[in-house]
Amino acid sequence: MNKIETTLVDLKKDIAAFYKPDLHHFMVMNAVEVGDKIEIQWFFSDYAYPCETTCFFALINPAEQIPSIKDIVVSAWVAEAELVDLMNINIENTAKGFVLEPDFESGPLRKKK
Amino acid sequence: MAKQYEIPIGAQHISLLEPLHFKFTTENEKIVKTDANVYYVHRGIEQACCSKFKFRQVSFVVGRVCGLCSISHTTAYSQVAEKLVKIEVPKRAKYLRMLVIELDRIHSHLLCLSHVAENSGFEALFMKTMQYREFSMELLEAVCGNRIQYDFSIVGGVARDLKPQVAQSIMERLKKFMPQLDELVDIYKNNWTLLLKNKGAGAITKEDAMRLNVVGPFARAAGLAVDVRNETEDLLPWKEVGYEMITETGGDVYARNMVRLRELYVSIRIIENIINGLPETPLITETKAFPDGEATVRLEAPRGELFYYAKGNKTQVLERLKIKAPTFSNVAAMAEAFTGNEYGSAPAIIASYDPCLSCTAR
Amino acid sequence: MMKTFFKTIGNVFKKPVTTKYPFEKTFIPDDYRGLIGFDENLCIWCRRCEMVCPPGAIVFSQDMEGKQTYHFNRAVCIYCGECVRACPKEGAIFQTAEPAPCALKAENINNGWNKLYAEALESRELYAAEKKRKAAEKAAADKAAAAKKEEENKQAGENQSGAV
Repeated sequence: MNKIETTLVDLKKDIAAFYKPDLHHFMVMNAVEVGDKIEIQWFFSDYAYPCETTCFFALINPAEQIPSIKDIVVSAWVAEAELVDLMNINIENTAKGFVLEPDFESGPLRKKK
Repeated sequence: MAKQYEIPIGAQHISLLEPLHFKFTTENEKIVKTDANVYYVHRGIEQACCSKFKFRQVSFVVGRVCGLCSISHTTAYSQVAEKLVKIEVPKRAKYLRMLVIELDRIHSHLLCLSHVAENSGFEALFMKTMQYREFSMELLEAVCGNRIQYDFSIVGGVARDLKPQVAQSIMERLKKFMPQLDELVDIYKNNWTLLLKNKGAGAITKEDAMRLNVVGPFARAAGLAVDVRNETEDLLPWKEVGYEMITETGGDVYARNMVRLRELYVSIRIIENIINGLPETPLITETKAFPDGEATVRLEAPRGELFYYAKGNKTQVLERLKIKAPTFSNVAAMAEAFTGNEYGSAPAIIASYDPCLSCTAR
Repeated sequence: MMKTFFKTIGNVFKKPVTTKYPFEKTFIPDDYRGLIGFDENLCIWCRRCEMVCPPGAIVFSQDMEGKQTYHFNRAVCIYCGECVRACPKEGAIFQTAEPAPCALKAENINNGWNKLYAEALESRELYAAEKKRKAAEKAAADKAAAAKKEEENKQAGENQSGAV
């Protein structure tokens, strides 16, 4: 696995430079808690043999707003909608309510202190 | 402009096997826009695996995410846990895992084909395909001990061995199944009323498939040659046992049926090669290490690409587990595949896309 | 299309493929994953099977003399065989090939098991606390006896030197 560090400001530029629809394939977005911050990961893989998995990651504070990559990768809206509900993070242009009911506690995957 | 109506195909519907919900905006019965809602069976498995279960017990929990691709989940989790504790599995265990994955692919593809036939109105073909599928359930029971939840892969190897008389009965039953498969291919390819319902329905082009990142037989039917078995060789030796890629052009329901049927021939050949060339090594690698670091694994389930990410922290309980099911990647494409079709073909299109909502909304 | 028509006519004269399940037997292989059996005489009471069981279907309770009892719930068990693989003594716990029978309401297999599980864990804690208390008492008694003996020796030594 090839891990590349990026920041929220450079995120869209890095992904737009890397992603080519006929060579790469977007898999999923993920979020892991590391101490007080959250590490957000974007996983890509190539359509070739032998293939390689590339992961762009960014360490953020829980309240920051993450830019959405829906205009570069069209099918990313499902992954973003899931993370917004389950981890209680903030992604632009994504509303809550895709996964959980409105009266459920938000962010069930966060560690309870 | 004609009047627009919103019609749902709801969570409870007589033709749906899975609890999903689409709200169509239609104009004169042609669908214009779709809204999807797919999280009806969320059970919180990722949270349970990281708090309540030890890392060796998680392979049994994860096998119960889906009833149809149970072996894919247990094998993918075992592989990612083996990467975290840094052990290597013996060769006989790899071959046995591939055997059960291919037997599982046979039963899952036949189930999907029979469901497509039922939704197209051809009930007799649905019954016939289910009758021909029964032998694979009995073979899986003889190999793994159970018809559906085979707790076959564990961390470090495989739980049971393959006995010689079971291997012989597999070869005999497969020989009996080949003419039945030829008969099914003939009906799905040439029956006039079935072609009227399936040809041209729910089509997507190759460019759309690349843009929307679809996986599985859904993508291979549109001409996009993507299959995890073609792309990875380090964990399971697929090319050694005779794997070949099947693609079709057209991208409609007819092409998806053909891809699934032709993949059955490849699966039967792989099973015969495995049984004839099974190496003699032990079944399990023992270790006392705890998982540490992070790792990812991709595997080809019957519906597409399955992706696992795990992170350990040197204790018995994992820190984070992320599962991505194949249907999760196809939801976006599904919502776009409906536009331009009639409302009456919606059940057949949903069935041909082969959703597995238990995997998606775990 | 005529082929399908003739095949349909032919199907009228064939007998159905269904197995009438409770009245006819179905296919059960001889290494089917069935009920778990236990042999008390071979067990060494290490409790490893209880630690590895994924759903928690095995529990050991302990009475005040230290004797342990094995409890198993056939409705919670997933028949995976992890307990059989974890046992260090062969034959103490084993998997048979008989399918598990259904549970009746009178057995109270869900809530009754939760209560039994909590009580078994508590009985082990009580026994461990009792053992610790007895060990502490014995240590104190030993220490007192040793101190008394030393006192007597010193007395005898003084008398000896006093007499001379």
